[in-house]
Amino acid sequence: MKKFTYQVKDQMGIHARPAGMLINEAKKYKSVITIDTGAKKAELTRLMAVMALGVKCGQTVTVTVEGEDEDKALSEIKSFFEANL
Amino acid sequence: MFNFFKKKEDAKIIIASPVKGKAISLSEVNDPTFSECMLGKGAAVIPSEGNIYAPADGEISLLFDTLHAVSLTTTEGVEILVHVGLDTVALKGQGFTSHVATGDKVKKGDLLLTADLEAIKAAGYETVTPVVICNTDDYADVEAINLSEVNPGDDVIRITIKK
Repeated sequence: MKKFTYQVKDQMGIHARPAGMLINEAKKYKSVITIDTGAKKAELTRLMAVMALGVKCGQTVTVTVEGEDEDKALSEIKSFFEANL
Repeated sequence: MFNFFKKKEDAKIIIASPVKGKAISLSEVNDPTFSECMLGKGAAVIPSEGNIYAPADGEISLLFDTLHAVSLTTTEGVEILVHVGLDTVALKGQGFTSHVATGDKVKKGDLLLTADLEAIKAAGYETVTPVVICNTDDYADVEAINLSEVNPGDDVIRITIKK
């Protein structure tokens, strides 16, 4: 299991479009990927659950990756966050 | 006579239009997030009135703070996102009034939101309202039906359940 934390910089937070992009990225991996806001947790492949976290700009989230491709998944998901959120 | 041997039809779930207007295919929506089905398959409605109603019985999973979108989980577990207009997150709630809150139980046809369509257009945004099945992957198929003038409550999406 591997994890990273990320502070969201997108002014609008994780709304519908970024959540959709994130889900499509997370679905590429075999690993189970979860996002945790401290208050709530969601599987990163479940769009509705991720949107329902209501992550705002400035909020810090912890992303946990567990599975056979966790190294690759972690580095690519992390880059995705940095580039898009 | 061969119908006699036809298998029993697959189970379907029908989702209604949340708004009065013209139902179109998602592929016609001028935003790749929706037209390329990044959020799931479904349909869209070009609204002629601003009242947005529940497309099925269920629970409000999320009313966005910006009131431009609402998601609902139906009693069968279908996760529906109703997104009023394109890029309207940027309006930060301006032009939208909500009539429900996250966690509310609703019946098909209950009023969820009111959008001031003229104000949204005047601000430079399209009012086309995608209705997307967020958990499309959980089903065998999700198709738009009845692509024509619709009233709230008219069928617009047919979901086929996996066997």
